[in-house]
Amino acid sequence: MKLDTDRIRKLCSKRGLTLQALLQHAAVSRTAYYSLARKVSVLPVSVRAIAGELGVAPSAILEEAPPAEWRTRALLRRAARVLDRHPHAAFENVWHTLVLLEEPPVDRLRRSLLRGRAADLH
Amino acid sequence: MAAPPIFTEEEQAFLRELVRQRVDFMIVGLAAAALQGAPAVTQDIDLWFRDLGDPHLQEALRRVGGVYIPPTPSTPPMLGGRNVALFDIVVTMHGLDGFDREMENTIEVAIGRTKVKVLSLERIIASKKATNREKDRRVLPVLEDAAATLRERRRGK
Repeated sequence: MKLDTDRIRKLCSKRGLTLQALLQHAAVSRTAYYSLARKVSVLPVSVRAIAGELGVAPSAILEEAPPAEWRTRALLRRAARVLDRHPHAAFENVWHTLVLLEEPPVDRLRRSLLRGRAADLH
Repeated sequence: MAAPPIFTEEEQAFLRELVRQRVDFMIVGLAAAALQGAPAVTQDIDLWFRDLGDPHLQEALRRVGGVYIPPTPSTPPMLGGRNVALFDIVVTMHGLDGFDREMENTIEVAIGRTKVKVLSLERIIASKKATNREKDRRVLPVLEDAAATLRERRRGK
């Protein structure tokens, strides 16, 4: 399994990110990225060996975490970086801001108004 | 029973009409903060207009079935009508410059297909600090943490 650099660039562009920004957010150095990009397979030799013995593609013996888990982990890394630079900030404020930034502005406002309405009822 | 929908297409239509009629306005307050990603809670959408006497504002209101209710000695200027009930008129923003100067401190935010001017989070914070009511002091840490998060995000782009 090779790193699909074209796909990465397309996904970056879809999210309005440069490759440099992506690597910065992911805390991956350019050296590490281009070293991975040059590899014929990014999987450990042992995984390829087991798959080869079984006569299946390596992807057949790998279990992938759901996309939501990957996204949550990425946001947690980003929150940690904000908190490193702003140690007085509260985690929940930073976290909720990052989560809200994943949504379109109109949905952020709807959430705010819904919570405001709920607070008014109680 | 399901809660009634909030900030519906009909309510968004007022913003669309304001833009279409070229009315000079901006969204301020906690709704503006929420649009930028701050986890703030609000009950209404505060609008700051350059000129409440602008006939185009009247036209935008007319098109969505709303009316402008001028201020009286005991009441502020208000908007009437189901489709504009969510909006409040702001006449003064404590701690800020005049409308024209603050227009330079707005960002454009897309609400559906309409781009509206929204006062920047930094200026909302400045205004909350100047107003300094208990409810403003309570929300300031949330806004300041959100602003720090946005700054870091911009640094990474």
